[in-house]
Amino acid sequence: MEPIILTSDLKKIYRIGKVEVPALRGVDLVVPEGEFVAVAGPSGCGKSTLLHVLGGLTAPTSGKVLVDGNDFSAMNDADRTRFRRHKIGFVFQRFNLLPTLTARNNIAIAQHIQGNGFNPHRFQAIVEMLGIQGKLNHRPYALSGGEQQRVAIARAVICEPKILLADEPTGNLDSENSQIVLNMLRGLNRSFRQTILMITHNPDAAALADRVLRMRDGRMLLD
Amino acid sequence: METKMVISNLLHRPTRTIISILAVAIEVGLVMLTVGMTTGMLSETARRVEGIGADIIVQPPGASFLMGFTPAPMPIKIGDLLEEKVEHVAHVLPVLILMNVGGGVNIVFGINREQFDAVTGGFVFHSGGWFTGPDDIIVDDLYAKAGHLKVGQKLTLFSHSFRITGIVEHGKGARLFIPLQTAEELNQTQDKASIFFVKCTDPGYTDDAISGIRQFLPTYPVRSMAEYTSLYSSNNLPALNTFIEALICIALTIGFLVIFLSMYTTITERTREIGILKSLGASKSYIMSLILREAATICVLGIAAGEVGTLGARRVLQSSFPTLAVRLTPHWMVYAAVLAMGGTVLGAVYPALRAASLDPVDALAYE
Repeated sequence: MEPIILTSDLKKIYRIGKVEVPALRGVDLVVPEGEFVAVAGPSGCGKSTLLHVLGGLTAPTSGKVLVDGNDFSAMNDADRTRFRRHKIGFVFQRFNLLPTLTARNNIAIAQHIQGNGFNPHRFQAIVEMLGIQGKLNHRPYALSGGEQQRVAIARAVICEPKILLADEPTGNLDSENSQIVLNMLRGLNRSFRQTILMITHNPDAAALADRVLRMRDGRMLLD
Repeated sequence: METKMVISNLLHRPTRTIISILAVAIEVGLVMLTVGMTTGMLSETARRVEGIGADIIVQPPGASFLMGFTPAPMPIKIGDLLEEKVEHVAHVLPVLILMNVGGGVNIVFGINREQFDAVTGGFVFHSGGWFTGPDDIIVDDLYAKAGHLKVGQKLTLFSHSFRITGIVEHGKGARLFIPLQTAEELNQTQDKASIFFVKCTDPGYTDDAISGIRQFLPTYPVRSMAEYTSLYSSNNLPALNTFIEALICIALTIGFLVIFLSMYTTITERTREIGILKSLGASKSYIMSLILREAATICVLGIAAGEVGTLGARRVLQSSFPTLAVRLTPHWMVYAAVLAMGGTVLGAVYPALRAASLDPVDALAYE
């Protein structure tokens, strides 16, 4: 079976003024569909850059990036945006909810942007699974960190993305809420065979994944 | 959903939203009031001239159509000549026009009662009556209301003290009327008139009468009343059009700058939110549409506030200054709205483009 994520000699170089900063120095990665993969490594090793490239937020400098059979290196920004809209869900360390919208609208906006309209059955199933039925009319400032992250997870998976990319999803949570969020990610992976690639510093979180990849200096240490 | 977002965003920063709406309202109000006052004064003056009831107007050679700017008065006997010699001319009203610039600009008509009555059909008196002496003055009701004047009161014009003998219904040429002889003395002229209002035996003979008058007075501007009143348009006053255009430009610039600054601040403040939308797959056109809708909502509310505010301002102005005519036409209400919308779109386009082209990774990292 073809892997859902496949990178080969993936490089990403940022230019800061006249200085070139290599963030990824040749990453080879294969993730089969339905796998829960954790990527661990020290700060500045390129984990977040890898996530951004795999999510189509930024273009690779060189190398091959195949996500669900689509070659990102051959796509322009508009194509990657369209792909992201339909195939990728993001969960961020800082939750990144829209502060002016209620939890309900924060989730619904993902469906709206995708353009397939509001699916009430999917919406209901997700909010029940994440236990946020009673919080839907609250704005982010009225939710705890754990609740905000659950809303963010709901937003990320409401459109049934092929891949869920989570960037330190427990980084801003206490241990109790961290465990709740991790259990939910695990549940999503098991119940819906949701492919998840999670970046984490937390060894307990990484341990929950099917496989842990380690990065250092822009390269994978172990696959 | 976009509408919900736009409304939520506007409510999130109520002060900024209100200030932006007010700026658009001021833009709309400035355009409407400027145009309304200038065209209002012109059309009101034209209506008053029309209200005299004459069919033809004769002015001296080289005279401006604006009554206060008539340089050289004509011999008054021309009027008698026209009455006697020109076919279809029933009555001629000679008027010596004086312009009073003390305490506001006012046109004063020097008139004879008999000729005035013959051409106009006479005043409708609200109180008092005709002149009984050389120092008497008749004022119209709006002038009296503006100055809280009553019959018997003194009124000083041209450093000359007049006694108000009558307050009349407005709409008979000027707002102030004095005896012709007094006007001549004040003007240091004798048997002179600035303008002749000619009444035909029948309005149907107007063209024939004009031809007849032109035979006697070939160098004098002779116009029918319809032709004369049609001159009271801003197109015949180039400086006025320039003034209106300059004010419209200023108003448009105010609207443009306020919307530009407001939307620019908005997208700077919401850089992270734009990054979030981009991470969800929002396209450049989606982001642009959001910003432009937000600006358009501000603009629509501003237009509504501006137009309602202008109607209110007109009411206040007209109750405080009864002689001030403010003409608000649907045409200019639409034009002011279109101008405001144009300024808004221009002001919002650059911030919207900037928002749409933000790098999603940089936007998400924005603090």
